[in-house]
Amino acid sequence: MSIKRLLFFALSLSILAGCANKSMTRYEELAEPLEKKGIDATIEKMKKEQDDLYGSNSEFLYYFDLGCLNHYKRNFKESAENFAKAEQIYEDLYTKSVTNEAAAIVTNDNTRPYRARPFELLLMYEYQILNYLAMMDIDGAMVEVRRSQIAMNSLYQKDQKKVNDNGLLRYLSAMVYELDGSPDEAAISYINTVKAYKEGKLQVPGEVLEFVTEGLRSADRENDLVALGTQIPAMTPKATAIRESGQEIVVIGYAGHSPILGELYMSGTFVSGGVMNLYYKDGETGERKTFTLVAPPVSGAGTGESFHVGFALPEIKKLPNKVDHFEVSLDGSPRIRPEKVMAVDEELKQNMADEKSSRVSRTIIRVVLRTIAAQKAKQAMKTDNILLNLLTSIGTDVAQSQIEQADLRIGLFMPHSLHMTRIPVSVGQHKVVVTANGAAGNTVEIFEFDKLQVAKGQKVFLIIPSIR
Amino acid sequence: MSKLLKICLCASLALFVGCSDSGKKVTRIDTNSVTDLSGAWNDTDSRLVAEEMINDCLGRPWYDNMIQNKGGAVPTVVIGKVANKSHEHINIETFIKDMERTLINSGRVDFVANAQERAELRNELASQAGNATADTQKQAGQEIGADLMLTGTITSIVDQEGGDQVVYYQVDLELTDIQSHRKVWIGDKKIKKFVSKNGVKL
Repeated sequence: MSIKRLLFFALSLSILAGCANKSMTRYEELAEPLEKKGIDATIEKMKKEQDDLYGSNSEFLYYFDLGCLNHYKRNFKESAENFAKAEQIYEDLYTKSVTNEAAAIVTNDNTRPYRARPFELLLMYEYQILNYLAMMDIDGAMVEVRRSQIAMNSLYQKDQKKVNDNGLLRYLSAMVYELDGSPDEAAISYINTVKAYKEGKLQVPGEVLEFVTEGLRSADRENDLVALGTQIPAMTPKATAIRESGQEIVVIGYAGHSPILGELYMSGTFVSGGVMNLYYKDGETGERKTFTLVAPPVSGAGTGESFHVGFALPEIKKLPNKVDHFEVSLDGSPRIRPEKVMAVDEELKQNMADEKSSRVSRTIIRVVLRTIAAQKAKQAMKTDNILLNLLTSIGTDVAQSQIEQADLRIGLFMPHSLHMTRIPVSVGQHKVVVTANGAAGNTVEIFEFDKLQVAKGQKVFLIIPSIR
Repeated sequence: MSKLLKICLCASLALFVGCSDSGKKVTRIDTNSVTDLSGAWNDTDSRLVAEEMINDCLGRPWYDNMIQNKGGAVPTVVIGKVANKSHEHINIETFIKDMERTLINSGRVDFVANAQERAELRNELASQAGNATADTQKQAGQEIGADLMLTGTITSIVDQEGGDQVVYYQVDLELTDIQSHRKVWIGDKKIKKFVSKNGVKL
């Protein structure tokens, strides 16, 4: 092999190494500032190191993560602006680049721009609706409701078999329709709320069902609920009280940290007449195992010729959650526990199951093509020097395994679960205390709202982020 | 070129393309030019709809009747709420300003500040009462009451299949007599846009 070829080969390898998997480091880089220094420090780091942490292929995630953090910080305007940018990127990415897709087949899926998982998109609309509601902009919230419906229709057009609906999103839509004075549309959204919960993993939460029943009862559409096979609650005291008085305090709690994605990596290197090395890295624990066996010579293969097959797949990696649920106390009254209205971990599980076949087939195609190419490359570089052959063979295998990376991209600051309760209140000043508790009932964080002013007919939205 | 070189070249090119940034170029264009980039409601829609609808409004029979009833004096108009019932976050302020500009420039109506601006002006008036010199102080209770209020809605319908999307906007405006609550003019303007996105690009 000439010096020129060697240089070219080395250059290609350095380029491949240069475009390392940012997803592997992003969580480690940002989890610490979030835990120790808070949201502002995390946002600052993200903005300062956008290229290193996200890069141009994960632009959606950059704005999505910024939108989430600003939402938790109650910077609703900034959160809405960031989510709007993320949505624009998502829409622009409808057009797929042939170059990127081809590069992904040669290298890995990280060279494709990140297009958002359906549940991330729907969560984004939920946050957007809440952003506008918190800013008391009903028109703005209505726009987000309409946009979410267009997005859901589009997702279903793309793939009917996947779950592209969300009970909480439908429920929030119904609330916004009611605020906008559109009871007929609210009734449709209430029916869709029940349908979406039935389609998903979470049962219709009791309080949600109470409000759905009240909404459909007042629209004279209770029978639609019966047709869905839902057990209708006999009494709807909370929902009736809010419908009659108009004003309420809505508590939305974000508990824990959603799972992220870890890399499951398996590879095998076989050196004819030498050793067989098997390697496994667990996606969830990161535990690595290697086995080395003596390998017999393969007929037809030269001494020192190696064969390498390796593939990487994303796997759900659960994170320890300090916060499991919330308790709310209004004006010193006994605490009530908001119900879980969305389980992000379940959404991710569902999404991974929905996309499994396409993900696995892409990986197989990629690995097979790359393995064939690597073996061809080894043949092309073969010389009379056995030692040099071994070196180039191992070099090609190393390059091959470096290129293989799972696509681990996912929103980093989603909660493990969302909790919600609606409390009817009188006009005037109120004190609300929300405690974020661990699974054992231990208090992790306390949020106090001392002088919460509620006007006639007003709905006050309290955003309680405890992403711990 | 050997197979190895071809493979390396393809991979390198693909990665260079994947990792490259696009350059940015800024060109100033005429503010009256028609520009459609995303297919969303834009400045051109806002300006054209405002001009067309206000010109239609002022050219209808109610105008002469009102002039006659007011003994030749031009009617005074205030702009109320224009609700955004579309699927886009439309900057309603721009649309309202476009309508205000067309109304004032027509010279056919008097125009008074809207509720929000009036509140600010009243604050200023109150501030003057205690701080400005007597000869420059403006008096309260001298405002001109509007005869008519212009209100409206922007609605939209979206139909889409794959990369093709038809967006239909309808702007409805109503001019209502504040005294009698009689609607003197109702107008609408429809815009239909076809937005097509390619599934693939190079």
